[in-house]
Amino acid sequence: MNDPQIPLAVCADRLLARLAGATGSQAIAALDGQTLLGERALLAGSRIPARISAGGGCRLFDALDDTLALNLARPDDRESLPALFESDTLDVGDDEAIAAAIAARHAGTLVARSRLLGLAIAAEHEAFPAGIAPCIELARGAAAQPPPRAPRVVDLSALWAGPLASHLLWLAGAEVIKVESRRRPDAMREGDGEFYALLNQGKQSVALDFKDTTDLHALRSLIASADIVIEASRPRALAQLGIDASAFVRDTPGLVWITITGHGANGAAADWVGFGDDCGVAAGLSAALHAASGRTGFVGDAIADPLTGVFAAVEAWQAWSSGCGARLGIAMSHVVAHALTQARAEDADGFARQLRDWSAAAGQPFPEVRKRSIGPLPAFGEHTRSFLARVARC
Amino acid sequence: MKPGTKLKSAVCDTEVMVIKAADVAVDCGGAPMAAERPAERGVIDPAFAAGTKMGKRYVDEAGTLELLCVKAGQGSLSVGGVALKLKDAKPLPASD
Repeated sequence: MNDPQIPLAVCADRLLARLAGATGSQAIAALDGQTLLGERALLAGSRIPARISAGGGCRLFDALDDTLALNLARPDDRESLPALFESDTLDVGDDEAIAAAIAARHAGTLVARSRLLGLAIAAEHEAFPAGIAPCIELARGAAAQPPPRAPRVVDLSALWAGPLASHLLWLAGAEVIKVESRRRPDAMREGDGEFYALLNQGKQSVALDFKDTTDLHALRSLIASADIVIEASRPRALAQLGIDASAFVRDTPGLVWITITGHGANGAAADWVGFGDDCGVAAGLSAALHAASGRTGFVGDAIADPLTGVFAAVEAWQAWSSGCGARLGIAMSHVVAHALTQARAEDADGFARQLRDWSAAAGQPFPEVRKRSIGPLPAFGEHTRSFLARVARC
Repeated sequence: MKPGTKLKSAVCDTEVMVIKAADVAVDCGGAPMAAERPAERGVIDPAFAAGTKMGKRYVDEAGTLELLCVKAGQGSLSVGGVALKLKDAKPLPASD
């Protein structure tokens, strides 16, 4: 049997080629899509997943009428399960009990209730609007000639997609400032140390107390000094900080603000939680695998994360270098759906063959990818004081 | 009261879903909440008029009761005259 490729890696290749062309960066040109999609699994020693995601947090369960991907990666997620199933007798730590509860219920009901409860969930055959755009303009600002230097990126995001986008911009020469909440740092620092260091090397680290007015003022000043902002919070999280992203964009000529979401920035979907594995399922990737191989499963490792990261980097650089100030909404499940449509349009048979190979290889070690070097990582909040001092002088 | 039960305010738009159930009566805006709204809307007690926020979780002091606000309103939540407090944001996964 052939060594399987990670399906859709070719889409990441194409995005990298565009980014390399736009930035002229040798470091970007030297990267390949398979590496971006597989490097976390390489570092973690993951295996090709079947019904449990490569990272272990997401699992496929059969409901009465469809298969569901339910992500229970956060420590508090299981506390919501009694409310999801309207049961006070369920053992929330027992995945077999969860499977039995899901098996007796309809997928649509569970998806709707889970989204209300803030759980990350998706159905294998979720009705997905055809031809959905992976990137939409949420607000437009005034155009401005980009400065004759590399952009300054303020990254407010955590985990994988947003930090990968700013990492790629850093490789292309950008100055990147990673801003974290003192109370709620990027949890991947602890969970996935080596991978965290890979994505966040070379960035400056600013840690702020978002309940402190001085720190909030500093945050606003930092944002105002940025060329590109990357953010992946739900709307009410920004609102609580008193930050109106669209207003910032309208008031700051040339500012590019990237909002990464699970399932879209508008309407009810803006509040739905989505992570890399369940967003891939929502996009129809597991349905495609199922159709090609006769067996459902996860494709890649949290595949929506790296695909969205490289996609967001391309969009951010393109908007910034053309001087078009805008707030761009990039939804992880829409990015995967778009990649899936492209892969089918280009070579439907070849893509189906890739999916069959992937399914047949379940349980084997993840495809071998290049191990990238990891440079120095600053300590948590190492650059906070120097930025606060700079803000105080303004 | 069972986990997953929905309760509606008798005095404002607030609706909550029970996450952790306790054997207590929950008030909103100073008036008892119930599965159905009364035909005529009551008046909010000014002492419980701080409002509820969509998507926020509210807990009692002991942590035995937890409610998720699924529709915001002007009244605020209490049990036995003691206001419920906001629960801190969910920690992020260590990896996804």
